[in-house]
Amino acid sequence: MKKVFTHALFLSVSFFGMWYLLGLIDFRSIFEIEELTKENEQKLGTLILDAVAKSNKIITQDSIIAVVEGMKKRICVTNGISDSTITVHIATVNDVNAFALPGRHLVIYSGLIEYCKSSEELAGVIAHEIAHMEHDHVMKKMVKEVGLAMVISLSGGESGGEIVRQTVKLLSSTAFDREQESEADASGVHYLAKADIDPQASADFLFRLSHEKESISNQFELLNTHPNSADRAAEIIKLRKIETFTSRPISDSTSWKKFQESVRLRVGEKDLF
Amino acid sequence: MTEHPSFMYTPNEYEAEKASNSYLMSVIAVMIGLPLPVINLIATVIFFLANKRATHFVRWHCMQALLSQGFTFPINVAGVYWTLSILFGANIISNSYIAYIITIIVFNIAEFIATVYAAVQTRKGNHVEWWLFGPLTHLMIKS
Repeated sequence: MKKVFTHALFLSVSFFGMWYLLGLIDFRSIFEIEELTKENEQKLGTLILDAVAKSNKIITQDSIIAVVEGMKKRICVTNGISDSTITVHIATVNDVNAFALPGRHLVIYSGLIEYCKSSEELAGVIAHEIAHMEHDHVMKKMVKEVGLAMVISLSGGESGGEIVRQTVKLLSSTAFDREQESEADASGVHYLAKADIDPQASADFLFRLSHEKESISNQFELLNTHPNSADRAAEIIKLRKIETFTSRPISDSTSWKKFQESVRLRVGEKDLF
Repeated sequence: MTEHPSFMYTPNEYEAEKASNSYLMSVIAVMIGLPLPVINLIATVIFFLANKRATHFVRWHCMQALLSQGFTFPINVAGVYWTLSILFGANIISNSYIAYIITIIVFNIAEFIATVYAAVQTRKGNHVEWWLFGPLTHLMIKS
């Protein structure tokens, strides 16, 4: 019996010891898994973006893009994030929504721009989505929802258009998990504070969303994708208090309304087609 | 890894063949190319039950083959489950996962070699006792 016990102990130690020691080797670097993942992510992002562009008109007018790019740049530069790696796209969709795609693409619906009462509110949403990108939530969510096998199949271009469309729907209309949303909110507030943008606007935006939910909920995609807006707004206010910043407005009210008007004009043009 | 102590009697040709087959049963999944580790275990359990009333030499080797599968079965199932959770779930390919897969491959290769060796030796009528599983079999199969 003692012999059996000694052998069993030795075998267990050998097994777990070997596993532990091998685990110290950085196989992910050796097999270049990070690089392969990034490459796949880029392919996947382009594929999904094409699907978005096929079903919606994308605004390419420089003066409109420049406004959103300016917000993105301000947030990125002040937080040490490479802004050139993030591409912003404005789609003419009436839903109040914005979402990040693999490959660091940020899609903003014109409905969201229309809904925001100030540039700071839009900046809050942008900061939140950048945080999702920085924490690699987008790919994690995709792998969780559709599985790695499907993600590889998609990035290899082996999947049909319907699957790509379903993936766009998934990324634009389903929630990240609660932990990821909280993490993105916390980082978003931090990014805004570092960029001297008052996070209070983000809280106001979320409070307004939660109050208007019952009246016209179908249009408010952000509510479906980001539940408990009122709780999140309260949390943002708490986080705001621990940040140090000197609020510097992005633009005045008149400029913001002018910007909204130019977007509205572009959306109106869509109906002519 | 294996020892060749003398058995209490010399097995005849029929017993040697039966005992050898018990080891071949445990590599059956590899032979038919199934990735499901449970097949090896089921095969050895069925073979053991079918030979419950066989001679001591045959029962002893059926049990040794079964015990060795009992060891590899849980580690292989964990490996398959982990792989499926990466392919269809939220897990990612981590250093820990790769290390685990290499470890179970090494242990499975060692077990495969020992199994084939035991099958060849028992077919010749030689008694083979594996490290750990031999003493354990002695405890479970009384003469």
